[in-house]
Amino acid sequence: MEYQTVRTTCTYCGTGCGVLLEVLDGEVVGTLPQKDHPINEGKLCIKGWSAHEFIYADGRLTKPLIRKDGKLVEASWEEAVGLVAKKLLELKEKHGPDSLGCFSSAKCTNEENYLLQKIFRAVIGTNNVDHCARL
Amino acid sequence: MDKLKNHVKELLESGEIAGFLGLIDDGGHPVPYLFTKEHLDRLDAMVVPDFRYPMTDILLRIVRKYPEETIGVMVRGCDDRALVELAKNQRIFPELVRPVGIACTKEMAEACRCSQPYPREIHYGEKVEGVNDRSDLAAVESKPLDERLDYWMGQFSKCIKCYGCRNICSMCFCDQCTLEDETLIMTGQSPPEIPIFHLIRAFHMAGRCIDCGLCEEACPAHIPLRSLYRKVREDMADYFGYVTGMDESEKDPLEFLGSEGYEVPSKIDET
Amino acid sequence: MADAEKGFEPKIIAFCCNWCSYAGADLAGSMRLKYPPNVLPIRVMCSGRISPHFILKAFQKGADGVLVTGCHYGDCHYIKGNYITKRRVTVMKDLLKFVGIDPRRLKSEWIAGSEGDKFARVATEFTEEIRALGPSPLRG
Repeated sequence: MEYQTVRTTCTYCGTGCGVLLEVLDGEVVGTLPQKDHPINEGKLCIKGWSAHEFIYADGRLTKPLIRKDGKLVEASWEEAVGLVAKKLLELKEKHGPDSLGCFSSAKCTNEENYLLQKIFRAVIGTNNVDHCARL
Repeated sequence: MDKLKNHVKELLESGEIAGFLGLIDDGGHPVPYLFTKEHLDRLDAMVVPDFRYPMTDILLRIVRKYPEETIGVMVRGCDDRALVELAKNQRIFPELVRPVGIACTKEMAEACRCSQPYPREIHYGEKVEGVNDRSDLAAVESKPLDERLDYWMGQFSKCIKCYGCRNICSMCFCDQCTLEDETLIMTGQSPPEIPIFHLIRAFHMAGRCIDCGLCEEACPAHIPLRSLYRKVREDMADYFGYVTGMDESEKDPLEFLGSEGYEVPSKIDET
Repeated sequence: MADAEKGFEPKIIAFCCNWCSYAGADLAGSMRLKYPPNVLPIRVMCSGRISPHFILKAFQKGADGVLVTGCHYGDCHYIKGNYITKRRVTVMKDLLKFVGIDPRRLKSEWIAGSEGDKFARVATEFTEEIRALGPSPLRG
């Protein structure tokens, strides 16, 4: 019998609410708002309250998949990233850099977000940069 | 504090309880934690902060998975009232829960406007008298009906439908929630249908709410939910002499007619 | 507003228990007693089945008044449903008043299967009461 709470930050948007993930015998079973957090002061929105639900969701993507002949097939990271790079370059050649854009995510770190916008601005050459956390 | 820690240690060591649900210091932040016999050293970091987590809510999670174990839990006055109600509603076996009581300080009691800031049995802290303050209800009642409705609709319209009031509530233990019933309340929209969303919950709190105030603390929109629930709680006391969280043998008058036969309490006017 | 132009016609939901009040309403019909068409009866098995949520739902959807009817005390087909209903309605009225909805918009009445005349009378009186109170503030 083990129950503990893990202090962390909600991944759903950029606000940065403090949440406690409730872990019962190694399984994440719930979320609580962190009462003494300076940002959310013990409050959460509906996304924060369900911040644990995606962890064991059936539809959660855990490995790269590539659609081959209409079917999603598991692939290695090298193959997946290679394919994305190839297609992006092809599109840029054919339709110009502004035919491309990127969505970044609040679930990534600041550094990862920085890198994504950098590659789209500097390498691809477009300002079509956005993110999932438009609330 | 040492006395409290030793008490918990004894309970754990003697095997009287399989675990103790309390709060532990995690990098300067008190968070809920289940102390066990295997990690007695963690007791050194046990803390009693001046804010509350929904202890009985967490207890229910553990009890659902380990229904046959005896579990100790740190309770304040409000948590203790919750334990009484949970026992009434057959969510816990009271003999399998070992409450370790914390009396709230005067400051906390006043901040919470708590009528009973101490549990049945106190293991830590000094008992202070409760605060009887119905100024929040009186403020609403001093308004004429149309102003009241404007006031409440204004408050309700701030709702972002986070379900925080329900999620944090010690008394919200149902498997199915009316607030998610699409035949009663339009689902999939925010703000929710008002006032029905809040009134359904308010009515549901009649004979149940233990007046802990966690709902209001958890509300991101600062809706004075607690006044609503205090109102129905007061009604239950006025009409039926029923005060939640006091006696495990009493039954909710809105669900059971009670031992005094089928008489309708005299205070109900027959109009 | 359309209501103001053609005069206010209240919308009233009447929850009637299957065993007494609905039979009473039926009898009112058989007796050719006239009662206002503003009252819309909904048959439920027992007044104890009338969840407070139904009452709130009726108000939410724009009902100007809600009439809860059941068997007289001691006559309940399920022995005690109407006692519980009375208690719930009492608390509900207080809650409605607290949030600023006139508690007179909610009424409970006990009507037996033989009291067709009482049903017609209660329906008429309640409709007039609600007419005097005006449209519900929750009417969209």
